[in-house]
Order: sequence, then C-alpha cells, then structure tokens
Amino acid sequence: MSTREITLTVNGRRTTLSVEPRKLLVDVLREDLGLVGTHIGCEHGVCGTCTVLRDGRSIRSCTTFAVQADGADIRTVEGLAQGPELHPLQEAFWEKQGLQCGYCTPGMLMRCVEILERDPDPTPQSVREQIASNLCRCTGYATITEAVCAAAEVMRSGARAGTEVAS
Amino acid sequence: MKPAAFDYAAPTRLADAIDLLVAHADAEPRVLAGGQSLVPLMNFRLAQPGFLVDLQHVDGLSDIRLTDDELVIGAMVRQSTAEESADAAAGAPLLVEALGHVAHPPIRNSGTIGGSIAHADPSAELPAVALALDATMTAAGPGGERRIPAAEFFRGPFETALGPDEILTEVRLPRRPGGHAFVEHARTHGGFAVVAVAVDLAVDDAGTVTRAAIALSGVGPTPIRATATEQALVGTVPDAESIRSAVAATVAVLSPAGDVHGSSETKVDMARSYLRRGIELALDRAASRR
Amino acid sequence: MTTVDRPTPPVRTHKAERTWVGKSIRRVEDPRFLRGRGGYVADLVLPGMLHAAVLRSPHPHARIVSIDTSRAEAAPGVHAVVTGAQAAELTDPLPDFGPNPAAHTWRCLAVDKVRYVGEGVAVVVADDRYLAEDALELIDVEYEPLPPVVDPLAALADDAPLVHEPLGSNCAYDRTFEFGDVAGDFERADVVVTDQLRWHRSGGQPLETVGAVAEHDPATGGFRVHTNSLSFTSYLFMVATALKIPANRLDIVPMPAGGSFGSKLFVTKPLVIAAMCARLTGRPVRYLEDRVDNMANCDHHGSDRHYDVRMALTRDGKITAIDIDTVDDYGAYIQFGVGHHGNALAQVVGPYTIGSVRYRVRAVLTNKNQQGAYRGFGSEVNNWMLEQMVDKAARELGMDPVEIRRRNFIRSFPHFIPTGNVYDSGDYDAVLDKTLELGRYEHWREVQEQARAEGRYIGIGLITAQERSVFSATEFWFWFDEPGAPVTSMPESVTLKVDATGAITATLYSCAFWGNSPETMVAQLVAEEFDCDPHDVSVVYQSSKNGLPATGPGGSRTTVMLAGAVEGASAKIKEKARRAAAHLLEADPDDLEWRDGGFEVRGVPEKRKTLSEIAIMLHLFKHSFDEDVESGLEESKVFDHPYTTMPSADRKDLGVFYPFMGHACHLPVVEVDVETGVVTFLDYAAVHDCGTLVNPRSLAGHIQGGTAQGIGTALYEEFVYGPDGQLQTTSYLDYPIPTSLEVPELKIGHVETPSPWTPHGIKGGGEGGRMMAPAAINAAVNDALAPLGVRITELPLTPDRIRAALRAAGHGS
Repeated sequence: MSTREITLTVNGRRTTLSVEPRKLLVDVLREDLGLVGTHIGCEHGVCGTCTVLRDGRSIRSCTTFAVQADGADIRTVEGLAQGPELHPLQEAFWEKQGLQCGYCTPGMLMRCVEILERDPDPTPQSVREQIASNLCRCTGYATITEAVCAAAEVMRSGARAGTEVAS
Repeated sequence: MKPAAFDYAAPTRLADAIDLLVAHADAEPRVLAGGQSLVPLMNFRLAQPGFLVDLQHVDGLSDIRLTDDELVIGAMVRQSTAEESADAAAGAPLLVEALGHVAHPPIRNSGTIGGSIAHADPSAELPAVALALDATMTAAGPGGERRIPAAEFFRGPFETALGPDEILTEVRLPRRPGGHAFVEHARTHGGFAVVAVAVDLAVDDAGTVTRAAIALSGVGPTPIRATATEQALVGTVPDAESIRSAVAATVAVLSPAGDVHGSSETKVDMARSYLRRGIELALDRAASRR
Repeated sequence: MTTVDRPTPPVRTHKAERTWVGKSIRRVEDPRFLRGRGGYVADLVLPGMLHAAVLRSPHPHARIVSIDTSRAEAAPGVHAVVTGAQAAELTDPLPDFGPNPAAHTWRCLAVDKVRYVGEGVAVVVADDRYLAEDALELIDVEYEPLPPVVDPLAALADDAPLVHEPLGSNCAYDRTFEFGDVAGDFERADVVVTDQLRWHRSGGQPLETVGAVAEHDPATGGFRVHTNSLSFTSYLFMVATALKIPANRLDIVPMPAGGSFGSKLFVTKPLVIAAMCARLTGRPVRYLEDRVDNMANCDHHGSDRHYDVRMALTRDGKITAIDIDTVDDYGAYIQFGVGHHGNALAQVVGPYTIGSVRYRVRAVLTNKNQQGAYRGFGSEVNNWMLEQMVDKAARELGMDPVEIRRRNFIRSFPHFIPTGNVYDSGDYDAVLDKTLELGRYEHWREVQEQARAEGRYIGIGLITAQERSVFSATEFWFWFDEPGAPVTSMPESVTLKVDATGAITATLYSCAFWGNSPETMVAQLVAEEFDCDPHDVSVVYQSSKNGLPATGPGGSRTTVMLAGAVEGASAKIKEKARRAAAHLLEADPDDLEWRDGGFEVRGVPEKRKTLSEIAIMLHLFKHSFDEDVESGLEESKVFDHPYTTMPSADRKDLGVFYPFMGHACHLPVVEVDVETGVVTFLDYAAVHDCGTLVNPRSLAGHIQGGTAQGIGTALYEEFVYGPDGQLQTTSYLDYPIPTSLEVPELKIGHVETPSPWTPHGIKGGGEGGRMMAPAAINAAVNDALAPLGVRITELPLTPDRIRAALRAAGHGS
C-alpha cells in the first residue's frame, strides 16, 4: 500500500512525514516522532490513555489515523512543561498525588488542559463529570479532581496577575 | 490491534467522493467520517475495508442551518460542535440532550452526526433521535440526491437504506415545539446504551397530549418507535396510571435479545422504567414551556 | 502433634518521634511520569528490534490438527513464524507452582490442543506490529473442536470431558483441613446459618498490558530481558529453565509497570515468547500484549468461586465455628496452585474469635484463561464470604450488624487463629467507632427509615475485615504433605551507598515501580535514618543478574520488607561511619551519638563529624584509618521474613505465614433503583489500620483506588464465559470499568496500631480497598433490599442480577 505525505504541527513544531494510511496517530507520535508520552491502553477508544489535543480539542489518538490529522495542530504531554518548569496541572497532580502508576497520566493531563481551557473555574463535580472520559485504574479519581481544581486556581491567579501560563 | 492495510483518499468535492466509491467498489470501500465507530472495528480487524474515502475535507458537509421549520445538520458536523451549537439547541433540543450521552467528549470531538446515524448501531443514541423526530436523511450517489425518511432508513443492525456508493450528506430534523427527553441506561457513564429512550411530545393548554413521538434503542435490531404508547398518550391528559398503561402497551410487545449486559427480561424492565421517566420528563418540560 | 511451637520474635520499641516516616510528601517518582517519560516497556526501542504478535485460539477446547504457516512466512516484513509444536522444541514448560505440574503442562504456546479461547497457538515476528498482525491472518490452523468444560461443578462429574488428559480428572486439588473441634462446635451450636455464595471472575486490567523486550547474546547463549512483570530474582532459575539456559545467563531488567494490581506478578509467558523469538531471529524482539491478549490470555484472571458455608453460633450471637466448602474455577492451568486459599486461611476467621474452622477447597480446571493474582489474591473473596455470613446470622438472630461484630471481636494480641496464623496487633473497636462516626451511621439509619416510607431503597453496608500483609511462601506448599521443605525466607534486599559528597543512593532488587511508591517510601525511610531530605535520596533498580536475594512486591509485603532492609543497611553504614568518626575525632566510638545527620561526642556538640565529612574521608583518604577499614561507604542488607514458622506435620496447624494483620471497616451507603437494578452511592466511609503509616497520602491513595477496583468487582466487572466456552467480554465495551462518576469520594480515616515485630511498626496496606469494598457494597445492597425480602449472594451485583432477584421475589415491574 502506498504512503501519504502529511504535515503535523506537534507541540508547536511543524513536521512533514510520510505515513501509511492505516497508521494510527498514536503510533506516528510514538514511533515516527519519538513522543512516547502518549500511551496505548485499549486501542478501541475507551480508556483514554492516548488522549491528545487536536486543534485544541481532546481526541483519542488510537482511533484516529494519522492521515486524518493532516494539517492539524497536535499537543501532547511533552508540550506541557516549559523546560524545567512544570505546567500548573503537572504541579498540581504532583502535589495532590493525582497519579500512582502514571500510565493514564499523560492522557488525563491533556484532557484536563482542555477542560480548563474551556472552563477556567470548574466545580469539583464538573471536573468529575468531565474526566469520566478517561479511565484511571489506580487513584479512584479523587486526587485527580482535587488536582484539577487546584491547578485551575493557580492558573486563574496567574492569569489575573498577567503572568503567562504555559499551556 | 492494528488495522489491516487500505488505500485512502481525502477528496474535497462530494462528486469526487462518490466517484471514488464507485471506482474502488471491488475494494469494499467505506466512507470515513469521524472514525469513532469504524476505526475501533478496524483495530479489532472486524472491519477491513480496502479503501477509505475520508469526508472531512468535502465542502458543504459541515454546516448547521436553522430555518423556520427545520434544523439541517451536515453529516460531517462533529458531535461536539452540534452539542455546543445554539441553532441545534433551538432547533432540536432532543438531539443536543442525546449527544450528551454519546460516549465521552473526546469521542464527540471526532465523531460526527452523520457517522453515528449511518453506522446504525442498534444501541446508539442518535438513530433513536432521528427516528423519534421523523428526520429525513439526504443521500448522494452516482444517480444524484435522494431523501430517505428515518422510518425507512434503519434496516437492521449496522444496516441502512444507503447504497454502497451513496453518502449520507445531511440530516434534516423538523422543528417541533413541545417537550423532549432523552434518558438511557449504560453500564457505566459514557458506555453503550443498554436501553435508551427518546421522547418528543407536545401538550395543549389543557394539558392534553397533542403529539407524541417516542423511540427506543437497544431493544431490537434497529431503533423502534413506541407506537402503541404514542397512540395511548395522544388525546389524553396523562397521569401516573395512564402513563404506566401507555408504557405497558409498548413493553408488552418487546422481545429484545439478551446479552452480556442484561437478559431480555431485564431489558424489558429497563425499557419500562426509562419510557416512564422519559415521558414524565418530557411532559414536565412541555408544560413549563407552554 | 497438632500444634506447632509458637515462638514469637522479640518485641520492638518504636521511635516515638519521627521526622519523615508518617509524613505525606510529594512522591519522588512523579516528575518523570508527569512529563510522559515513565520509561515503560513500550517506550524502549532497541536497534534492529522486531515485533511479535500471537495468534489466539478461537475455540475453547479443540485439538490442533494442523498448522500451515507458509503463507504467513512469505508475507512482507515477516522474520519468523513459530507454532506451538516448534516452541515446545525451543523452550521448556513455563514455571508452575501448581500441584503436579507434569499432569497439566503449561507452555508459552499450545501444542496439541487449545484449552481456552485466546490461548496462543503461534507467534509471528515481523518488522512492526502491523505487519505481524497481517501475517497472523495468513496462518491456517485446522482445529477439531472438543466439547468445552465450562461449568466447574459439571467439570467434577466422572464423565466430564478432560481439560488435561494426563490428570485423569478436572480436579487439580481437593483437600479438607480441620482446625479445632468443628464437629463439636456445630453440635453445641444454638443456631447454624448456611448459605451458598458465588463470586465471579474479574481481573486487574491495568491500563498498560504485559510485555517484554528480549535481547539474545549468541556469544554466551544468554539473554537480557526488559519486562514490566515483576518479582523474578528469587525464582529466576525457573524462567531460565523455561528458556533452557543456565540461570547465570539470564538478566532480567525491571521496567516500571503501568499498573499491575497483582496481574503482573511473575508473568513469564510474554518474556519467554520474546526471548524465544530473539534467539530464533538474532534480533531484539518486543512482545507486548494488546488489550484482547490481556483480557483473554493474560493468565491473571481473579478468583472464581462457589461456596457452601455453614456457621455455628450461640443464641446471643457468638460465632463458634465455620465450615467452608469452596469450588474454585481455576481455568485451564493452575500456575500458583491454591495459594489464593492460603491467603484466605491467613485470615479465615476475620476479626472474630471463631474457635474452629473446616476448609475444603477443590481447584477445578476448565476451558478458561487461568487465574493469577488480583489485589487480595483470594483473601478478598474470603472477606466477602465471611461478612455475608455474619450479616445473614445477624438477620436470623435479629441483631444489629454492629452489635454482632462487637460481640465477636478479637481484643487480645498477639492472637493465634485456628489455622495457626497469628494476628500481631489491632484495635478493631477503635476502627469501628471511627468509621461509625465518619460515616454518620446513625444519621443514615434515620435517612433510610424516611426513604423507606417514601418507597426508596437505601442500604447501609457495614463490614469489618482483615488485611493480611507480608506473606511467607509456606502458604504455597503447606497444601501438600511433601516436599516438607523448611520455612521459606522470602527476603528483600537494599544496598545503600553514601558517596564522597555524602549523597545517598539506595539500590532496590526485584522491586520495580508498579504504581506503588517504592522510591518515595525508601527515600523516606533513608531520610528518617540519616536526617536528610527524601527528595535528595536517589533510588535505582538493579537487574536480576547483579541482584541480591529478593522476592519482589506481592501480598502487601514491600513496605515492611524494604523498611527492614533499609534499617539493616543503615545500621551497617552507621557502624562504619561511627568508627570512622571516632577515629577522626579521636574519641571512643561508644561515646559518639548520631544527631542531626552526623556523629558527635555525647554532650560535646562541637566535637562532631557530619555524614559528608565522614564519607569523603572514607572514599578518598582510606589510609587515614586503621588497616581493616576499606574505602567507601556502601552496605547491603538482606532482610528475611521477620516472622514465619513451620506448619505441623499433620497440617492441623499451618504455622505463622501472614503475621502482620491490618484491619479495616467500610461503610458505604447506597440507593438501589428497584425498577432498573441500578446502584448509586450516597456516601462511603473507610477506616484502615495498617500499623504505622509511612506516607499517609499514599496509603489513602491505595484505599481510594483499591476501593474503586472493589466497586468494579462489586457492581460492574466480570469476565463472562458463555455456555459454549466463548469469552463474551473481550473489550472495554463489554467489560465496564468504573469511571470517575461510578466512584464516590471516600471519607478516609486511619487508625495506627503499630506492629510489635516490624520496623517502625509498619504493616502492609496496598490491597486493602479491594479487600473490603466488594463485601461492604454487597452488604449495603442487601440492606437496601431487605424490606423486599431480597438478599443477593452473587457478585458482581449487575442491574441484571438485581432485577432477576427482584423478579424472582415477585417484584416484576
């Protein structure tokens, strides 16, 4: 089967690469671009470990062919921290222990980036409802909910103070 | 769990998309909308199309139009886009409510209205909505365009009236003032519906039901209309007892297949309960909007 | 002789003031995982690495007539295709701790016949996983289907088809143990409560599957294998045997596991497949299960039990005896034997003063994926069974569930239970009191009353149960009269190195990261010893080849065992440092005391050497010291199980094998929608006592997360095999895992009753949530449905089961 040339902007970096149409976006990110932070869990769209942002919205990269993302802006967990500086969500997940094994964490973080970009001041219940999209087998979700609310507060105060908050 | 190989094209014109389906007929081509049903099936290798026609860049399939009497949704409108659309909320609140039950936001960010309807999963939400609202599906094929009423569209599990070289281009939902409700049971939030109920009805000032359209998913090979219940409700001012007996009229003839999520008897119990809840909620809303 | 000697270890005095142990700190592991740099097995790419995929059997039971691999071998990118018959030439059977392994030989691929849906029959090695899966479709297997063995009770019939012909039966193990005067206690009983109970199989389902990357060295014939499975050091030789190499030619490199919950414990099949393929192709090979492999062919389904139970009581609610007959459906193989029932026997009487126990276990082989480990390892099932019986007894006696428990609590410790195991310490009343308060028991009873008047069904579940920790391997062999081995030590080791700058590195053996916090815990323990910041302690994992004796995680043993190893290694470091400091200070070593990160002359704080001052001298200036002092400051400690004793020869006393006994009380409040059978949580309180806490926040995480899994077990998760032997739940569409909306936020409380026999008084606590929640939720649902005359004795409590029970009780619609 033939390959196709596609262009992806991943974490701000534009890349052109040649892929087989059947290659899943998650495999292109992991294998072709070496961005192994996006994980594979169920490969049928349920668990959410492969969640990335496409044009600002969360998607399952295991049920998306890379060719479908041609021209898209993709953000992955590798784009969150700015050098040594963790993203406020990463900081909050650390502080609240919003992770145990860490496997769902990158997908969960990307989903939470979207949640906070769309609602900077969510209630804990709203966070709970929205993170139902991503399975976590370790934490029971309580500390993740706490972390998202804590990060929201930090990000709001950062925004108020006019400091740039990495996202 | 990696898909088998296929060839792929992403045309920008509808005519080209149809031509590709015709030209690659031997490869058992499929159209690719959001891919949220098709790609998992391909990952399991339960579907192995030899050619995919990606519709995402095709002009004119991603618009939402609200007129005085209908809401027209392009087949490639993403589910999350429709969910957030003020026009959709005004034109078909039942659809918007149902969308909240379709898997999870990251799925709806890719999944499309047309993709879900054309996939015709017997437990899916949107086919029930289309059926309840008497939607019309517009299909485009080599012979031109045709319109298919929902009642004729769903033929069986994963089977529709669309021909192999036809593409669903839009869904036309008549605007119906009144009250609506979408309720369902899924084993966990965002999971497939075991039983789903879509209700759309209207009442007059006296509280008499003037119109009732009710559809169920998960209890048959296609979504079905609860015709007996609709007939029992229209012309009455329903109370708890008459709702119960109206529901019983439909429930009596259901014989859903049992599966890992529930026996036939349990699905009937679910249908009974959710029909009642859906009707009560829709009546409340209809009354409050009168 | 029916009892064994019961020496107890010396009672420790625990430090009253602790700086780091007991403090919730940010985990030292987290920054790499938060950045997506966890370094999981799927992230490892070696030059020239190939990818393997396994062809799974579509039949539950079938003879393999022929396999034609020619089309697959010719497919693009394919390097090798190995059938089961070829694999049997290349490898020996997989490690098997079960009874009579030769009668039910377990190999990495099926040879003559397949024994469950999903069992591997061939493996393809190709340039990538896509091409490997393409080639799987080109393998032509001719099967001759055989009648499947699905129902474990039917499997016991004389004329049942056989899963393993050499065994001559489907019963792999059948024995009845008696502890105490069971017959007499039943004869004397005022009341005998009986029941039949059914626990269906579910599994850990970590979001990361199991896998391995294997490299073969043709020069030595050896392997280096990177895997996310765990616990290889002690039993490495068994894996080497499967690969037909000497144990000193195998090096297993632990990789972090993206969750395990038991299910990655000693998983040898992916490793052996990857290694076999690496040797065959001369290239590194990755074999990583996909999700279907992990659901259908993981060798780690959980318990699947039928129970017939009788409980003897006095009229005033004192439980005197319990008679348990259980049939456990192990699936097609039995790799860990009936160790799951050893777990049950460790705490078979729960927190109660039950005087005698009869326990019959029959392990049945069927055409299903085999059992392995799942958080609780069978003891959670015993907890559920026992609490169901206690609740039923309370109901029959007209007693309150709180009252019957208080009447039977053990209150004096150490307490030897009838099986011979010991409970080291506990305060069950304190845990119960705290739970009743935290969970607002009285308040919910009032709400329940009002709700019932409104036709709503609210239920309050209350269970008090045990959480054993730190197993001894006797529980894997006391089932048999032979081999009559001595007690197994099950050690765990740590090396501590203080470098020339005084910075500390801890090396762990056989203990990879698997979602618990070994690095944080060890860092806290080291910091406690040396008065440094835990975030400054470096923790590394050693591969097996350079490993000290170690057993690895499992049975909630890691924290206690590593605490002992850290304590021992620290003492050695401090001893050497003391001598060095004494030399440098020209003082008597006995006059020095450790204070605030250094040694100082007692009462003369200005005469002091910090650890870094001592370390640089020991590293670089050895000749400043006496002849017998060696350069450097590095010490290891192999810490053996602190308390385990031999079973009696007649097995009427199993000895001490799981001595550090945690305890918990769970109090969920649920509402059951009787129309649909849907259960929702209104509240949930959980109080655990795992002795002294190392990192309270980590333990709370285990409680919350374990409870979430217990909710899955109680309400949602089940591997369903149809009567035809087909696995009907092969994806997450059919195997529902709780999301954030199915899991309530817990009110968590801790009670700390230190163990007298472990460092700092720590007990293990990694499994607790799941050991309690299924019993508690079942109790709550039964409490809700009591007014309708419905009591459910089968898990999970799906809407379907609840509705079926209600219909059977006449509540049709």
